[in-house]
Amino acid sequence: MATRKGAIGDDSIIRVPVGGEHDGTDCLAAAEDAAETVDVVAVGSTGVDALAPLVLATHDGATAFLFNCTAERTRAALEALEGGSLPDAAATVEHDPGTTDLPTPPKTNGSAALGVGSRRVLAGCGWRAPTSVADYRAARDGDLVVESAAPDPDATRERIGDAALRGRGRGDGSTDAPISAAWTTASETDGEPVVVVNGNEADDHARADRLLLESAPLAVLDSALATAHAIDATDVVVYVNDAETLARRRAQEAADALADDRDLDVSIGVVAGPDAYTAGEMTMALEALEGNDRLEARRRPPGPAQYGLHGRPTVIHTPRTFAQIEQVLGDENLGGVPRDPGTRLFTVAGDVDAPATIELPTDATLDDARGAVALDGGFKTACVGGRFGGLARDLDVPASAPGLRGARLGTNGVIELFGESTCSVALAGRRAKLAREENCGRCVPCREGSKQLVDLLRDVYDGEYQAGMLRELARTMRETSTCEFGEEASRPVTTAMEAFEPEFRAHADGRCPSGTCDGLST
Amino acid sequence: MSTDPIWENSRATDADVPLTEDIAPGTANDPPAGSTAGATVTIDGQAVETEAGATLLDACETVETDGEVLALCSYDDEELIGPRSECRTCMVETEEHGVVPSCSFPAEEGMTVETGAAAASEARDVNLDLLLSNHNLLCTTCGANGRCDLQDVAIQNDVVEPRYGVMHDRSELEPIDDSSPFIQIDRNKCILCNRCVEACNDVQVEGVLRMEGSGEDTRIGFQNGADTMMESTCVSCGHCATVCPTGSLVEQGLVDATTLPVPGFTHKNSAEEIVGEDYEGQPGQMTPMKREHSTENEPRANAESTVEGDD
Repeated sequence: MATRKGAIGDDSIIRVPVGGEHDGTDCLAAAEDAAETVDVVAVGSTGVDALAPLVLATHDGATAFLFNCTAERTRAALEALEGGSLPDAAATVEHDPGTTDLPTPPKTNGSAALGVGSRRVLAGCGWRAPTSVADYRAARDGDLVVESAAPDPDATRERIGDAALRGRGRGDGSTDAPISAAWTTASETDGEPVVVVNGNEADDHARADRLLLESAPLAVLDSALATAHAIDATDVVVYVNDAETLARRRAQEAADALADDRDLDVSIGVVAGPDAYTAGEMTMALEALEGNDRLEARRRPPGPAQYGLHGRPTVIHTPRTFAQIEQVLGDENLGGVPRDPGTRLFTVAGDVDAPATIELPTDATLDDARGAVALDGGFKTACVGGRFGGLARDLDVPASAPGLRGARLGTNGVIELFGESTCSVALAGRRAKLAREENCGRCVPCREGSKQLVDLLRDVYDGEYQAGMLRELARTMRETSTCEFGEEASRPVTTAMEAFEPEFRAHADGRCPSGTCDGLST
Repeated sequence: MSTDPIWENSRATDADVPLTEDIAPGTANDPPAGSTAGATVTIDGQAVETEAGATLLDACETVETDGEVLALCSYDDEELIGPRSECRTCMVETEEHGVVPSCSFPAEEGMTVETGAAAASEARDVNLDLLLSNHNLLCTTCGANGRCDLQDVAIQNDVVEPRYGVMHDRSELEPIDDSSPFIQIDRNKCILCNRCVEACNDVQVEGVLRMEGSGEDTRIGFQNGADTMMESTCVSCGHCATVCPTGSLVEQGLVDATTLPVPGFTHKNSAEEIVGEDYEGQPGQMTPMKREHSTENEPRANAESTVEGDD
């Protein structure tokens, strides 16, 4: 389905998204069937589910946006293009005919999500053919990142160090920390270094890595190759979920396309791992890649930079981090706050019409993300940071790692919005149960702690709210667990206690203020 | 037994010892623990010289510490076992890295450790109580009473009433595996320290025991998928029982060795159910499963042995 045929600079073209939640495969077939002179190219999703499938009909420097497109409308649009005119559409945008970035329609009739934040690493999503090196080169003024980075590894490492770029996402080897330290360690450790692209994420709400692998895999792989040269690694391994067949296929096609384009002296492999939440943790990712039939977190220190895949020095980053590396090595002005430069990707989900993955510069606030979705009912709370994120009453929080951490929220790029009927005690309890059920079982604070956490919350429903015990347990889990799973597992509970203390007391008194908890009166 | 053909044959042929790559203990490929070079570290204000490979626990053990560094799951007698760093009752506070597990944290030059710091001491207390919360604390009918590391550290840490209670609901207890005439497994006392798995796989290279499951279902199981010890490929070497820090793996002869004479109250009726108590006599130490797969005992056709079997 995906094609290496480029989409950029084509004068009359119809772009059909394949990938994401509402796939445009039907539209693609319809368009390919009817096309005579107009080019039909499969692109990736834009990340905005409410508009998907978003078919784009371009003619002569103007593009018609066909939201929630059907096969019939695609055929009609194609016929219009064949006839030399644009189809009728909810939004039409004029742009430079050679533009390599998705033109953004004005914020009208439901398309607002595309205008939220700034689309930098997402610029090509939905616009460039995902595995076309020609499109990717066009966006980069001709040069791949690896071409300028390969000859001078020291300079590459220096630029990453100077940029103070931080790792993105829970599966990164340098989550929220400057990545250059891990690069230096890996390149100075004895052994053959390797680069791992960790795109494995089982949290259905954290979609940014999958979006990048489906819609912009070349930027991820190009910067992974540049990273490999910078640390003198011999190979790159891309690790994705078993269920995400399209992400896997696009990554493989992008790797093949790069290999066709130039002689690669670094090999790229694409490997699928389990669809389990634990499988995304950086050391369990390595365990899965090594073929272990049971996943548990590795003891540390030393971390993967010294002892990683098969004991080799390993730099492991998420696709989100590699997308930022492309910006740094491509001499883009990163923007954002100096302590966490660049942009961050967030999937806005929860009680919303449809989730949207958007990009915010780190000097924005999370409030800016609200415009990307329509919330059902009034806003009550947000869970920020994914499955084990923190609960917040408002979103007046910086979109940077230090800002999020300062607000005791999570940084895994998810903002779940919840309406007034959501009980925060029950929400925290559901997350505690997930922790109890899905932990790897290795260390006591996480394995046994999550059990006691659930029990202490159950005690609240039984009339006893032991805030001190809960805080002490949460503290121990956070500070003594082996990996980020246990470190973060108690966060929904502690942040809920902070933001909604009266609700905990009400439950202990037999009352659920939201009126949603069984057995308790409102 | 100089005429025993077994020994002659097993030396002359590639005996049926499992290759290490066939062994699947279900545990992570952990990095080496300890420092890469000798160092001087400060433990509770006392300077300690350490050698290459030393952990902070090694350093703590050479001096009188302010706090009780329990380090329950740590095992010193065999290099191939641990540190697993599972129980997290060895946490200490460092100036450089905050609260860390001393059993596996490398002793790096210049580190300053405070064992009595409030955060570290709370962490050790809470983690010990978490261990006890999942332990069938019937010491009086336990074969490891008086020779139990968990009991020792609980006493050392002045535990009077564990904050999360102990496992007392009989309906939650797993049946005791009494199927083997040599070793009994009572998983209700297991703290998942993994010592037995490492003794079985890394020291004895037998490949019998493994870690299996995840979350609250994590347990010690068998690599051949058996439900009971008798159906496993165990050779009854007893190393697992030797390293077990609790009464979870006990030699059959010692199961009631330290039971206090309370009428009508025994180790076996402490758990609801027993599996495998009706085993029929086992002539050798190998379980039938191991015997079936083993060729070591059978004279080989090409062996140059002139000695016939005794019977």
